[in-house]
Amino acid sequence: MVEQVNSFAIKTKNVSVHYGNKMAIDDVTINFTKNDVTSLIGPSGCGKSTFLRCLNRMNDVIESCKVQGEFLLNGVTDIYGDSIQVETLREKIGMVFQKPNPFPKSIFENVAYGPKIHGLASTQSELNDIVMESLNRAGLYEEVKDRMDDIATGLSGGQQQRLCIARAIAIRPEIILMDEPCSALDPIATARIEELINELKEKYTIIIVTHSMSQASRISQRTAFFHLGKLIEHGDTSKIFTKPDKEQTNDYITGRFG
Amino acid sequence: MIYFALLILVIISYLFYFIGKKRALNLKFNGNIKLSSQPDYFGYYVVLMALIPALLMWFGLLLFKGNFQEMFVMSPILFPDISTWSDGKLGLILNKLNNLSVIVNLPLDDLTNGEKSILNMASENELTAAKKLANFDKIYGWSNLTLFIILPIILGFLATRSISGKLNAQPIVEKIITYIIKGSSYIAILITIGIFLSLVFEAINFFRYVNPVDFFFSTGWNPNRAFVVDASEGFDKDDLENAFGFIPLLTGTLLIATVAMIVAIPLGLMSAIYLAEYASKRVRDIAKPIIEILAGIPTVVYGFFAALSLAPFIKDVGESVGLPVSAESALAAGLAMGVMIIPFVSSLSDDVIKAVPQSLRDGSYALGATRSETIKKVILPAALAGIMGSFLLAVSRAIGETMIVVMAASLRANLTFNPLEPATTITTQIVTSLIGDVEFDNPKTLVAFALGLTLFLMTLLLNILAITIVKKYREKYE
Repeated sequence: MVEQVNSFAIKTKNVSVHYGNKMAIDDVTINFTKNDVTSLIGPSGCGKSTFLRCLNRMNDVIESCKVQGEFLLNGVTDIYGDSIQVETLREKIGMVFQKPNPFPKSIFENVAYGPKIHGLASTQSELNDIVMESLNRAGLYEEVKDRMDDIATGLSGGQQQRLCIARAIAIRPEIILMDEPCSALDPIATARIEELINELKEKYTIIIVTHSMSQASRISQRTAFFHLGKLIEHGDTSKIFTKPDKEQTNDYITGRFG
Repeated sequence: MIYFALLILVIISYLFYFIGKKRALNLKFNGNIKLSSQPDYFGYYVVLMALIPALLMWFGLLLFKGNFQEMFVMSPILFPDISTWSDGKLGLILNKLNNLSVIVNLPLDDLTNGEKSILNMASENELTAAKKLANFDKIYGWSNLTLFIILPIILGFLATRSISGKLNAQPIVEKIITYIIKGSSYIAILITIGIFLSLVFEAINFFRYVNPVDFFFSTGWNPNRAFVVDASEGFDKDDLENAFGFIPLLTGTLLIATVAMIVAIPLGLMSAIYLAEYASKRVRDIAKPIIEILAGIPTVVYGFFAALSLAPFIKDVGESVGLPVSAESALAAGLAMGVMIIPFVSSLSDDVIKAVPQSLRDGSYALGATRSETIKKVILPAALAGIMGSFLLAVSRAIGETMIVVMAASLRANLTFNPLEPATTITTQIVTSLIGDVEFDNPKTLVAFALGLTLFLMTLLLNILAITIVKKYREKYE
């Protein structure tokens, strides 16, 4: 396993997160390789979602939340530093949430929202292209091309989630964070999203929190196992799921706890 | 007496609930009988069976008390010429006898001088009748009490005895409860219809004197002209032309309401946005109740604030820049009213904005939107229906507001759209037409009902509009 310094999309070091006095993440150090899918797995409440939300500073709005440690984007930019604005950061690190959350606007407006805010298109036709391309890449274009002006909340759950993915990639991020994106979907919609994730990794670095170990093994190249706020083990998915180094990981993988 | 009886009724029903439930449980566990309802329902069953007939009879007695009294005391023996009395006179005499009956049996020493003179002025027959009436009231009270105690107890015991494996209490209880809640909503509807009809009938009375076309479309408002002509000679419709023109009142109302909305909408909406999106929890917890206090200030206080502080201030400022400002400007009344309705806008909009799911905010932030972009492009559009609803509610409140305009607006009808001039409103004119010595066969008085009806229809229309808008957007956004 050869890794070069600049092949990391995000490097973190000694990360701790507190909610008030309660420790949620305890001294986690982990690096995410570029153009890989990394799964964060672990039992409920282990801190994997909290950790994910630290990466694009979504925890900023929670008043009691305190984040410590080092976060480097592409090995150089301090994510929590003064040199980068949180809006610019989130332009580079997109996010897809557990529950599909399309805006109560038209399908077109949902995807165009980000590009409009960041001024990615100078003309209407450029904007149309971005929207079309994003929907295409999210595998949704064929299904919605005749009803771009319909309200997005009228789509099915799976379509809504793919729309949210299209919305996220419309601003051309480098990294996409996904917080259990399939937990509210049925198996068929889940399969479509997994397929999509597999295609997206060509262009993006994807970090995904998942409850389903079979999903983690299907879609990810790297897997990190969290337990009680600590990173227990991190490595190639094939290794984690076949010969993990730690007993705890083995117990979780084989379903003995969690 | 009646309160005592009601208290006893409550206690009786409480006891019967347990008796009924106990008997059901007894049958179930000791008698080994399979019950067709839960034990609770047998408790309710007994209570309802015991209570409802008594309450119905009490209501009936209350309704016909006057008739009973009349039958009891208004005999031709005491009042020989009773057959010639009109209904009005009959009512008056009965009322007088009722007052007498309270004092007629008291010892003279306990009476005030006023009461003594009332007794002295009454005729012998009237005193006899009053004494009879006092007796009647006593009997009536006792019979009520007995009714309240004896009847429920008998019925309750009968109902308890009827509990058996065959009795299915649940559907009976649920049916009765359904009737009760149905009845409650019908009562509210009936009252609304009643108020509306009384307005309509009096308004029709008014339109017998004044041509509706004249009322709705003429621009002159001089209701005192109706006094110039003696009512007994009958009104000539030509005399009243241009006396009851509704237009200047409508423009005055709209002018003042517009000023109020210009104040309330931006201030209310912006404070709602601040409270919902920017303020820390501590600030919000303190600021929100304080803003809501504005809604709790009696409107009469706003009225003299507008009349005594705001109006002179506006006049001074206006004159210092060379603008002619009336002492009773529409601006002063509108400003005070605007302040009053700020909390309607801010509180409702704040709730609506807070109700926009956090997931939408997260979605917008995750796309790199700033807070203000999120508010402008996601939150406000999503909350639009509710915000519009709060605006329309505030408008109908502004149009219906009375006290502020009575105190701060002018009484003179003035067809103008200049807020620096005086203007009067529909509500102000309703009040002025009903105060003082009023006769109900004069159009000057009756116009209040026509105005009230129009106002009612206006606010009704606004509410329908509000509901339609809210519905339309809700379908779109959900």
